[in-house]
Amino acid sequence: MSIDTPEEKVIETPSGEAATETPVLTEVLPELPTVIDEQDLIIETRNLSKRYGRLQAINNLTLQVPRGAIYGFVGPNGAGKTSTMRILTTLMKPSSGEAYINGHSVVSAPREVRRSIGYMPDFFGVYEDMKVWEYLDFFAACYEIPEAQRPGLINDLLELVDLAHRRDDMVDKLSRGMKQRLCLARTLAHDPQVLILDEPASGLDPRARIEIRELLIELAKMGKTIFFSSHILADVNEICTHIGIIEAGQMVAQGPIKAMRQQLMPHRVLIITLLGRLDDAKEALLHVEGVQGIVDLPPEEGKTRIKVEFTGEDLRMSEMLQALTSKGIPVVNFAEESSDLEAVFMKATKGIVS
Amino acid sequence: METPASRSRIQLNPLRPLLRNPVALKELRGRMRGPRAFVVLTCYLMVVGGFTTLLYIAGTAATYSTSGEVDGGTLGRVLFGSVVAIELFLVTFITPAFTAGSISGEHESQTYDLLRTTLLPERQLVFGKLFSALAYVLLLLLAAIPLQSIAFLFGGVDIEEVLISLLVLLATAIFLGTVGVYYSALTHRTLRANIMTYVTILTVILITTAGAVIALAVAEGLNPSTSSTGSEWFLLIVRGIFVCLNPLTTLLATQQYLVNQQTLFTFQYTFSNGTTTTLPSPWIVFTILYLVLSVVVFFLTTRHLKRIEG
Repeated sequence: MSIDTPEEKVIETPSGEAATETPVLTEVLPELPTVIDEQDLIIETRNLSKRYGRLQAINNLTLQVPRGAIYGFVGPNGAGKTSTMRILTTLMKPSSGEAYINGHSVVSAPREVRRSIGYMPDFFGVYEDMKVWEYLDFFAACYEIPEAQRPGLINDLLELVDLAHRRDDMVDKLSRGMKQRLCLARTLAHDPQVLILDEPASGLDPRARIEIRELLIELAKMGKTIFFSSHILADVNEICTHIGIIEAGQMVAQGPIKAMRQQLMPHRVLIITLLGRLDDAKEALLHVEGVQGIVDLPPEEGKTRIKVEFTGEDLRMSEMLQALTSKGIPVVNFAEESSDLEAVFMKATKGIVS
Repeated sequence: METPASRSRIQLNPLRPLLRNPVALKELRGRMRGPRAFVVLTCYLMVVGGFTTLLYIAGTAATYSTSGEVDGGTLGRVLFGSVVAIELFLVTFITPAFTAGSISGEHESQTYDLLRTTLLPERQLVFGKLFSALAYVLLLLLAAIPLQSIAFLFGGVDIEEVLISLLVLLATAIFLGTVGVYYSALTHRTLRANIMTYVTILTVILITTAGAVIALAVAEGLNPSTSSTGSEWFLLIVRGIFVCLNPLTTLLATQQYLVNQQTLFTFQYTFSNGTTTTLPSPWIVFTILYLVLSVVVFFLTTRHLKRIEG
């Protein structure tokens, strides 16, 4: 299947400030030309389990990330996201089960796995007594990049993460967002196929978050598979092609984001704002095929609002609008509710934290 | 910006292969940046220099011979020995401080995971940390050579002794450095690694000194008429091991054989029944022992680091 933009163009972000800056993203998204083969898995775990004493952190987790995907790994705190990532990055042994990256077992071929991945932990430090270019030079050397190639590589990486102007500054002079971008540049030093990013946007201000998000899309366009965890559903909603929801160490749902929405939320939701004639509107809508139910919402600024649940394609929405306008019902707003990922999440998880 | 000229100049640097180790390069850059490296070196030289001056003043007063002349040879030896002893003391305390935070510091600054997911082999990590710390200790030792050499003005000290003392100090630094890195890898806390390293060092010093003294006392208490050469051999080797595990006793014993027998590499031991045997000088045994122990501790450290968290 091909990566499409999420159908909803109007994206509600928690802050209005962020929403005004997102158009850049929606513009770049359609350019993603990659065709994702769902069978070609670059990250795969089979019955992966991790136990700390009596605590079962991961329980028979089966994770499937196709090559080229932007995979959002979502779950409440303590669900096992970081544990899973530490196993995938060869930092921790699983108690049982298998995990493969690019076909290499994380247990028996850790070096090959490390060659394939770029990892950014949720909390990380930077060496404070180094300059920005020295920091990248150090990690490039750790990834066995020949010395002669490093200066060019460092410049390219700094250009990519928009830090070229800070090349000779000390690392500890950078802002948190810049450090995050520098760390992301570091993960790219050896041109890995997979990026494993633990909460890449946590603790960042809205602007820095958007910059990271743009960067991830840029990297996906370069053909990298991105596997990242997040609490922030808006981020996941906007950029992911795939999503996996983990709770209490178990995968409760995973797959392409569109399929997930349809599977978990078969109803689509429409919010209609009217100036009046509520009963006529309800009557008209109920005659449209696919409408499942209508709920009154509390009025906003004196205007009547209703929530319509329906199934089917976009054509149904057009039919509903026609049904209303043909009767002269004063519609002032007519839009599909876009934050349904939160509903998907709420529906998939039960609020259990191990 | 690197110009072609500067690049070719750098490649002539004999340290170049060592600086291919990314950790060594990073650590040296970090260590030599800012005022800290300069301040430590200055303080070190001031301590060693201050003590040397005090010893010179005290020594000239004490070594006046009956004729009213200063006994230059004795003063030279006292000065030289004292500088080496002070250096030994400082190396013993400075080296662990440089290495005990090497790996645990990566944990504390949350950089260890980043490092572990790279292709950097564990032995390169350990070697880089050790090399950068020891390179600085070597700098301290070399910087103090002029102070040691003041003894040359008075005579009584040969260049060989300076070289031997440097070798013993360096072997001490290498061993203590590897012990520091080992504990740093073992525990994730720098403070704990420091304490464990110092406790280990003090234990080694106390046990070896006590062992050497006891073995010497027992040997002297033996009745020459009843004791066998076998038991004398046994005590000699036990004492030798204790002496050669402690840099201070090694230096003192080496000096003693050098003064009494004028031999650098071997010494003669006479048993109570009159037979003599030739044995290697303590500094040789010490250096070999400490280097072998360092290699063992080095491998223990890399083996520990290779373990993946279970």
